[in-house]
Amino acid sequence: MSQDQRQQWFARVVESGLQNQIFNPTDVLAHATPDVLATHLPAELLSKVLQASLAAGAMTPERVLETVTPELLAQHVPHEVLWACIAAAAARAGLTNVVVP
Amino acid sequence: MNIKAFFVEALTSALDLGIARPEDVVKHVTPDVLAQHLPRPLWARLLTACLGAPRVDAQLIVETIGVPNLAEHLPATIIWACIAEAGARSLGKQVDVHVAPAPLPVSTRPTPAPQPLTPPPPEVITSMPKATPPPMAAVGPSIPAPATGALADVISELETAEPSAPVRGRTPTSQRFRQSNTGIGRLGASQRRPQASATPSPLRTQRRGSTEVTDTESAEVVSPEIAVDDSQLVDWSTNENTHAGDDDFSDLGRKR
Repeated sequence: MSQDQRQQWFARVVESGLQNQIFNPTDVLAHATPDVLATHLPAELLSKVLQASLAAGAMTPERVLETVTPELLAQHVPHEVLWACIAAAAARAGLTNVVVP
Repeated sequence: MNIKAFFVEALTSALDLGIARPEDVVKHVTPDVLAQHLPRPLWARLLTACLGAPRVDAQLIVETIGVPNLAEHLPATIIWACIAEAGARSLGKQVDVHVAPAPLPVSTRPTPAPQPLTPPPPEVITSMPKATPPPMAAVGPSIPAPATGALADVISELETAEPSAPVRGRTPTSQRFRQSNTGIGRLGASQRRPQASATPSPLRTQRRGSTEVTDTESAEVVSPEIAVDDSQLVDWSTNENTHAGDDDFSDLGRKR
């Protein structure tokens, strides 16, 4: 399994989880915190996020994820963070009691 | 929340991208789990595919059933176990609960669930080979017995029917065609009449015309023949037509 494949898979899972409401943008940002984003997102992407928020007048998790798409999340954010988000959502859904740290 | 669609997307992409392998899926989606949750039509499809495939492996099982069907029919915890293992492995970790033993996701649910599943397959499998030999043994002897018996009966009937042809030959025909039996006899007599009439003796003609009735008439006819045929016996014995007429009369009953 290559890094590209794993990245692609995490992008799909995050996107599917959002589309199917397994978790929402708030849940994503609960794990991909501003510190995480600030640490791992490139400067250009951080700039876009800020620009979009300024244009809309607010920065919401939804708007952040409109800019930082699942593909970009999977590309820049550590997969452990994304997986923690996915696993936590699964635990909330009652699928498992174990959450990968 | 459409968790099944999420499962399908996550597991399908994991398989497509090599994040998960079919073996990883089958490790959780065990045959017992399939036996408990998979609908019969899908089982039929799976069995058909397995029978037609040169090799049965996890890939065949997963591809035949399909991830959407797995997500549709199997418990969510089992599908999630597959996804969780794939995700954990992609991160270089192992999910202890899901990875350790295969029946863990099942054991976390109800314990009795897997136990009733395990017995049925063995019972079916063990019962099949046991049931197979008895029918073979029973079929073997039973087939020749009725066949030989029936043949023996037929042969015996044929053998016994030839000597007593008139008796047995007439009896079934008279039973089958009672109404037409007399007609047949008359037809046979009428057909033979020209031959009999061709013979010189007019008595023969009269006797054949009344042969259907009884032996009394034949007795009546015979008595005058004896008196008359003293000089004609030789000619009648050499004449084949007269004998053929008698034989043909008996044959008529058999043929009918």
